[in-house]
Amino acid sequence: MNPAEAAKTIVTGLKGAGIHLIASLPDINLTDLLREIEEESAFIHVPVCREEEGIGICAGAYLVGKKCAAVMQNGGFFNSNNAIVSTLLQYQIPLLLLIYYAGDIGDRTFGTTGSMTEPVLNALGIRYYIMRDPADAAELIQRAQIMTEDARRPVALLVTKEALGRRSALKSL
Amino acid sequence: MKRYDCLKAVAAVAGDALAVSSAGAMTLEWNALRPSDGNLRVRTLGLCSSIALGMALGLPHRKVIALDGDGSLLMNLCSLPTIARMAPRNLTHIVFDNEVYEASGSKRSATAAGTDLVGVALAAGIKNALWADSAEGFAAAVEGALKGEQLCFIGVKVSSERVAVAPFPLDEVENKYRFMRHIEKTEKMEIFKVNLPASYA
Repeated sequence: MNPAEAAKTIVTGLKGAGIHLIASLPDINLTDLLREIEEESAFIHVPVCREEEGIGICAGAYLVGKKCAAVMQNGGFFNSNNAIVSTLLQYQIPLLLLIYYAGDIGDRTFGTTGSMTEPVLNALGIRYYIMRDPADAAELIQRAQIMTEDARRPVALLVTKEALGRRSALKSL
Repeated sequence: MKRYDCLKAVAAVAGDALAVSSAGAMTLEWNALRPSDGNLRVRTLGLCSSIALGMALGLPHRKVIALDGDGSLLMNLCSLPTIARMAPRNLTHIVFDNEVYEASGSKRSATAAGTDLVGVALAAGIKNALWADSAEGFAAAVEGALKGEQLCFIGVKVSSERVAVAPFPLDEVENKYRFMRHIEKTEKMEIFKVNLPASYA
């Protein structure tokens, strides 16, 4: 799958999961996905200036009955931590976090960010799954949405370059 | 001006608007003046404006009022360009600027040193942003904002005095459920409906 096809698959998953509002902040690897999200009329797309804002926007929209997703890089996940703890976890608000996994195996940049991502998710008690094969993306997103709604806690999908069609997938990962 | 008197003016014209209030004594004063399940208390400093934006975008036909403070907004200044960009016509963002972190020991905030939050809002692209410099002016601005169909930002300088009122009776989770049930009832929608397999229902 190329990046455009992978982006379409992810958007199909988000629509299938009933997502209505998406807050996002760009990463170069999310370019095709964010373009696809912007063009999809089923979504209200809110481009934010800092990821923590996006957590608040999604929480507000959830409280009035809308399903939401936040799309960001893992550095942005770190930026969001106070809101994740004292709003999402404190009020038991579900949210689908689509986190681009910078510093993944094979990357020459953001290695430190990559190394801290899973430990911080674990520390916050946020269940997460690593999305590697774009063919699984749509199904994984719909399952993750069920999990977050059921648990009333955020659930994260770590979206790798492979899942975005920007690197070939390895069967052993 | 006293914040409590300003809140009284908001309560007089709020109707069934949803209200999001920033952490601190303001929430207690607001809930004493307008007790409603349509009130949400925010716990994350700074997030008031963003949560209100999410509500306004999610329910575009319903009025949403953000009751913000200077310390809170200073922590999330970048919410202003985002609000300007989305420009929800049903959002009224009110900032009570007492120039201190009142809930955290009353240390002076940057507005005490001259930062002009209405100026920041205007520069961020919120066209209808103004300072209310009298009680009458504030009441008129809020009434106009809630009757109108335009994103509004209203700043008001207030003293840091508190009015003794009852404590907020709800924890965060009860506040959430009451708020969402209020939305279900007033918007005639089901938020929590889940289709489970028959054996689990």
